[in-house]
Amino acid sequence: MKKINRDEILQANHLACPGCGATLSMRLALKALGRKTVIVIPACCWTIINGPHGKNYAGVPVFHTAFETTAAVASGIKASFDMQGKSDITVMGWAGDGGTFDIGLQALSGAAERNDDIIYVCYDNEAYMNTGIQRSSATPYGAATTTTPPPIQKDRPKKDLMEIVNAHEVPYIASATIAYPKDLMKKFEKAKNTRGFKLIHLFSPCPPGHKSVESKSVEIAKLAVETGIFPLYEIENGVHKLTRKPKFTDVREYLYLQGRFKHLDDKEAEIITENIKQRWEKLTKKFEC
Amino acid sequence: MSKKIVIGGNDAVAYAAKQSFVDVISAYPITPQTSIIEKIADFIAKGEMNTRFIKVESEHSAMAAAMGASIAGGRVFTATSSQGLLLMHEVLHWASGARLPIVMANANRAVAPPWSIWAEQTDSLAQRDTGWIQFYASNSQEAYDLLFIAFRVAERVKIPAMVCMDGFLVTHTKEPVEIFEDEIDDFIKIKEKREVLDIDDPKAFGALAFPKDYMPIKLEQNKAVFSAAEAFDELSEQFYDISGRKYKELEIYGENSAEVAVVALGSIAETAHLAVDVLNNSGIKSKLVKINMFRPFPKKYLDAELKNVKHIVVFDRNISHGKGGIVKDEVTGSLGLGNVVGYVCGLGGYDVTEDDMVNAVRDVLDGKVKEDSYLWSEK
Repeated sequence: MKKINRDEILQANHLACPGCGATLSMRLALKALGRKTVIVIPACCWTIINGPHGKNYAGVPVFHTAFETTAAVASGIKASFDMQGKSDITVMGWAGDGGTFDIGLQALSGAAERNDDIIYVCYDNEAYMNTGIQRSSATPYGAATTTTPPPIQKDRPKKDLMEIVNAHEVPYIASATIAYPKDLMKKFEKAKNTRGFKLIHLFSPCPPGHKSVESKSVEIAKLAVETGIFPLYEIENGVHKLTRKPKFTDVREYLYLQGRFKHLDDKEAEIITENIKQRWEKLTKKFEC
Repeated sequence: MSKKIVIGGNDAVAYAAKQSFVDVISAYPITPQTSIIEKIADFIAKGEMNTRFIKVESEHSAMAAAMGASIAGGRVFTATSSQGLLLMHEVLHWASGARLPIVMANANRAVAPPWSIWAEQTDSLAQRDTGWIQFYASNSQEAYDLLFIAFRVAERVKIPAMVCMDGFLVTHTKEPVEIFEDEIDDFIKIKEKREVLDIDDPKAFGALAFPKDYMPIKLEQNKAVFSAAEAFDELSEQFYDISGRKYKELEIYGENSAEVAVVALGSIAETAHLAVDVLNNSGIKSKLVKINMFRPFPKKYLDAELKNVKHIVVFDRNISHGKGGIVKDEVTGSLGLGNVVGYVCGLGGYDVTEDDMVNAVRDVLDGKVKEDSYLWSEK
């Protein structure tokens, strides 16, 4: 079994909340990508995590940018590096779900359609967490946020980002999460070694936003996969491949660990279970046997 | 040897971009800018221009990609107009704040609704506070020349620059333009050192700044924009030595001892030459004060030119609704009422106390502060 690189690029004194999935994700991603990487960060939790003026806890060059511009800025950096003979540097956009599913979707679509040689990462904590937990189009059915307080919790499903990007016919798309670090790193390595547009969709537990216990983040990420809520798969040149077969355990195990779902009863849990089933029926048809 | 060809402002700008060895262009089509990027695409297709052209999905992304290309160390060009420029607004602030010497051509066009594609400067004048250097070209030759100077000035002071030209009147009116062969190469090939993304020196650009950090950073940016005037004076002198064409912050035409000063920028300043001739011929001593550089605002030269003039008449091809012409306001604001002093203060949430204000007023009363100033001292 492959050992995880001991070189820590992300510095330990970052400003993340305890139990932050987005930070563990960055730590693992940078271990996979190495120091020849630059990162574009729009408005998101990582604006804070990376440290204030004069600090750079990521340990590789970072350009902080406007909310909706991640993909376009990354495209510009890549084009400029190419013109200067620096094509060996990996350019990564690192945005939250608000900056990806919502306000940044247009620029993301533009970069994907042009097949620009960048890695676009969405660390998805399923709401606008940095501004204090407002719903985004990545917020799942049933979740409470400050703009969807029960009984007016979100009643629409989460957008399917991977399939939206897949419609652009790009070479590599993958989902990953911190509960499966080697899988996550393998996907970043694959993205690094693939030319063209790459999307990595990370499920990212957020204790303050999900109202969960800080020490449970990895467990929640694991349950997100095992219940079938967050499928781990890849799409390589349009070909879908399941990378971890879930056990489809009771979704309530996942829901009950998070205060954002505490208003849901068994009936609602059944609806969510049914939604998972329907999604997997569609998804399974796409996986190569 | 340079040669004269008959082209419009858009083609002139495309030639200048080609001869400026631009690494990356990111742009989106909009009338009447489009023929600039078509011409550049044509140059690239023919192998005459070694530039990466990112065909973005919006003007917002055009400026965002330009920022990325610039922070990565490349020389970057883009072009837009009207609605496109307005869509860029947020990113214009970002480009200046990040100190990225991007150069952009803007085809001045009216703002909708109702839809219009014709000349007006409300689009670019509405960006006057974004921290960009602004040049206004009155004809194709000026558009061509100012683009080279814009690159050098922008890179010298690390502030982006836009060269504005009136839609159709300048962008599409064909006239003889002197195009360099390679005489401009030594001038334009100079690239100044600046901070860029560097994997050997990993820094973060644009991170959150607390009030005590934010305000000095912004004052530094402001100083850099002001310093563009001096850089322009020097670099346009060098440009004159190469081209024989002289550019100043203001161009003066007409009677030295004029009673009337006509102030204008853009294509109407061309027409104003004729109007000033007619006025002088009819015995009204007049001169034209044509503004070539609007940001930084040419206060020093404007004060000198307008000091002894009885009447100042400003022609504004723009409108600030509920106020009037923007250039007129800028001119009167610059000349001042004689007893108004402005303090810029409290940027980025920096505290402004009662004591600060009392002391600032006292400084004015005591004659210690006579001109617009900045309220800043680290507390």
